[in-house]
Amino acid sequence: MDRASFEVLEGEFVAIVGPSGCGKSTILNMIGGLVTSSAGAVLVDGAPVTGAAPRHVGYVFQKDTVFPWRTVARNVALGLEYRGVAGPERARRVREAVALAGLAGFEEAFPATLSGGMRQRVALMRTLVVDPEILLMDEPFGALDTHTKLVLHAELLALWEARRQTVVFVTHDLSEAITLADRIVVMTRRPGRVKMVHEVKLTRPRDVIALRESDEYAREYGRLWHVLGEEFAYPQGGHPQGGPGK
Amino acid sequence: MTDRARVNLWRVAILVALLGGWEWLTGIKAISRTPGLYWIDPFFISRPSAIARRFVYLASGEVRLSLWQMALSTVQSTLWGFVVGVSTGFVAGLVLGRNDRLARVLEPYIIAFNSLPRIALVPLVTMIFGFGLLAKVVLAWTIVFFIVFFNTFQGARAVDADLIHSARFLGAGERQIMRTVIVPSALAWTFAALTPSISFALIGVVVGELLGGESGGGLGYLITQSLGTLNAADMMVALVSLGAIGIVMALGIKQVERRLLRWRPEYRTERA
Repeated sequence: MDRASFEVLEGEFVAIVGPSGCGKSTILNMIGGLVTSSAGAVLVDGAPVTGAAPRHVGYVFQKDTVFPWRTVARNVALGLEYRGVAGPERARRVREAVALAGLAGFEEAFPATLSGGMRQRVALMRTLVVDPEILLMDEPFGALDTHTKLVLHAELLALWEARRQTVVFVTHDLSEAITLADRIVVMTRRPGRVKMVHEVKLTRPRDVIALRESDEYAREYGRLWHVLGEEFAYPQGGHPQGGPGK
Repeated sequence: MTDRARVNLWRVAILVALLGGWEWLTGIKAISRTPGLYWIDPFFISRPSAIARRFVYLASGEVRLSLWQMALSTVQSTLWGFVVGVSTGFVAGLVLGRNDRLARVLEPYIIAFNSLPRIALVPLVTMIFGFGLLAKVVLAWTIVFFIVFFNTFQGARAVDADLIHSARFLGAGERQIMRTVIVPSALAWTFAALTPSISFALIGVVVGELLGGESGGGLGYLITQSLGTLNAADMMVALVSLGAIGIVMALGIKQVERRLLRWRPEYRTERA
């Protein structure tokens, strides 16, 4: 990555889109402290990120990271267990989170018996139950089918409207980015740079289904597609802005 | 008839045919008027009826060291060897699995010791620990430890890094990660080693008993004793008992495994 600089405001929903291999996930991992940058820095509230997994940051991975040996309820309880929240308080918060995820009745089910969408809901609620201020999401719905994806978009937006965490959402799906985000960071191909930061001018709350038929959505999509399309159009190495990959 | 019943019927049929054939063949005289000359001599392989008679006799209170006492001694040593071997192998596997440098330093020693045929250790173990329970447990341990160690080691290394990361993001400290991610992850691999482990523990114990003499006791002692008196029937009693013990213990382990790994899809479908 090179000169990939952008800002995220508190309570803002920012999506990062770009061709694969451009370093989208690396940016998330830097914010989460999983990798350190060779040059430059990530500042959260003005202070540089040091050490992995800062306390106020939640991370939802692309891969299924629900613990297969724990039931739904015990997966959701993990963060509370780690932070020493116990007894009725933990039980209550787990119960609420499970209900919020639409998984009531599946508390004692093991992940192997759930669908991919349900498992990703567990992963999301497991992260949200400890109330992170910053939520990092790395293509969390990448492996889901279109329908499930839309349902989860609506659920994520509803949850976010209620608590307004700062969200950084990495995806390669442009429609997903437009549906969810306030602003979209478009990255170039390797070496990844910030090509542009686009403000999504769609009002909230958004209806994820109706939105797709609206003219505003089509306009946003058209503009972004054009910009992103440039990144796909040139063969590797022949890009006017890009040198050889790092 | 259900498929299961059909399978069971065949199993019983084979058992009956085997026992019947054995009994019948060892009863045919080669030359009818010469006593003790058989087509297949029961002197070497005995006969089911004779084995059953000896079984009843050895299990009765009439003998000084009953079959039950010997079986108990074997089972006891096996379980001790199993428990000690599994727990030490598991801990060692976890520690080395999560400590790359230590694993690399110790690797040649582990491989060298594991390549040693365990039976070659028997005299040494006997010299150090004598003939009793302890020697048998040590022998079982030398085998079980490595089986469990290698599996747990693999399991501890194969833990998904993203699971560790997500635990960390949920606020887990190093010890919590060990307890809630690495141990349960590695356990699935450890369990795969348990069924072979119990069988190998039994092997270790019986090898110890073969050399151990009366103070070691156990079914292995019954075998050497039968060899001394050229008593094939008693030897068969010991072998059948060992087989039964082996099966019962392996089934027990399977039950425990199924209970603890019930989150795995393959165990759920099996039960359904």
